[in-house]
Amino acid sequence: MNYLTTHIRIVTAFVIREIATRYGRSPGGYVWALLEPVAFIGLMSLLLGSLGRLPALGTSFTLFYATGYLAFSMYKGMEGYLVSAISGNKALMSYPKVSPFDAVISRFILQAMTSCVVTWIILYAALWTTNQPVTIQWAYIVEAIAFAWIMALGVALGNTVLFFKFPLYQKIFDIVMRPLFLLSGVFYVPSHMPHPFSDVLLANPITQVVVLFRDGFYVQHGDTGLDMPFLITTSAGLLFVGMLLFTVFPVARARE
Amino acid sequence: MIRLERATKEVRMKGVRKMIIDNVSVTFPRGKSIGLLGRNGAGKSTLLQIIAGTLELDRGRIIRQGKISWPLGFQGSFQGNLSGEQNVRFVARIYGVNTDELVAYVAEFAELGQFYHAPVRTYSSGMKARLAFGVSMGINFDYYLVDEITAVGDTNFKRKSQQTFKEKLSNSDVIMVSHSTGTLRDYCQTGIVLENGQMTYYDDINEAIAVHESNMKRH
Repeated sequence: MNYLTTHIRIVTAFVIREIATRYGRSPGGYVWALLEPVAFIGLMSLLLGSLGRLPALGTSFTLFYATGYLAFSMYKGMEGYLVSAISGNKALMSYPKVSPFDAVISRFILQAMTSCVVTWIILYAALWTTNQPVTIQWAYIVEAIAFAWIMALGVALGNTVLFFKFPLYQKIFDIVMRPLFLLSGVFYVPSHMPHPFSDVLLANPITQVVVLFRDGFYVQHGDTGLDMPFLITTSAGLLFVGMLLFTVFPVARARE
Repeated sequence: MIRLERATKEVRMKGVRKMIIDNVSVTFPRGKSIGLLGRNGAGKSTLLQIIAGTLELDRGRIIRQGKISWPLGFQGSFQGNLSGEQNVRFVARIYGVNTDELVAYVAEFAELGQFYHAPVRTYSSGMKARLAFGVSMGINFDYYLVDEITAVGDTNFKRKSQQTFKEKLSNSDVIMVSHSTGTLRDYCQTGIVLENGQMTYYDDINEAIAVHESNMKRH
């Protein structure tokens, strides 16, 4: 049988299985994929919205936090889900037909579909409830999502290997990455920060994703700090290193 | 046919290195079932994984002609929150066989009744084993890999499983690891002895068993 059709079939089987099991134990099932971000954005808008009169951009707190949080989640949600693709499906690696990459690709496809639907629903609702005029620029939005996914794939593939080989590194990585959410420009505009801080924040590629994503919703004058060459090289570099590690070290079927 | 060409595999477990096969070339002909013999820790299970393709060789290559099964009765893949039927569908999709046919076959073979549609986590270990064996029997392979055959279920089910498996072996071969020489004689015609990183093929399983037993006496 044709190699490609075999793997398309296996990936399909994995996607169906993941849909059935991902939120298997929580009541409500897949609805949580939507409820989680809705609750978080609602809470942020309420708490932080009550502190000031206007958000850093536009007039709608909900739209401002939603664009930031959803852009961030495009990376974080994907990375967190992909990094456990192998360990979460370890038993399935005993099927000779299954390639470790099948597990990663199927989670990628499922997460991509899920986050697109969730993002679309939330942003549609946020735009509908605001009376602020918005011109959507799809090119920026699509680019931002693509960069987020490419980086997430690279980081997850690399970490699958590194977490297996160096358990201590996993602990350190988790601790170091914990403030990532605060440092990614989700609830502020990085270029509005005082000088040395703004440069530090903008050196974070995830911040760049958030900035680029917001460019799709807000027309801004002046420098937003977006650095496309940096974003392109970082994404390509992370993907290259991740795929290299994943290919060179076959940890998926290694014994614990 | 399965052929190993100048194959080398070394495993490292907790810093201990162990040469499983060292520059081995051997051919497993089609049409004869093979028993794998060797002392504890010689690497029989590792060798099965290499044959299955779930473990890579360090050097050399392996050529496989024919469809090779996963280890017979493997149940690690069953997802506890999915029903037996859903798990069977998953395996059918992976192996590209007709899902409805396999689901129906396993339903009849495993005799799980209503439990077939209940989550696997509610199963007893015997029910799980019956499900696993049913899936293995429901798909046709050229080679069945067996790591210690374990009889499951009550007497009737045991008899049925044995009969079904023997029927399968009229068209397929088995590559079997077992500590029971009786089982090996029962299922296999030829044998391979794994000792000190070398594999020796014997046309007659009885000869392989004799060599293995004299190896065991030496140390």
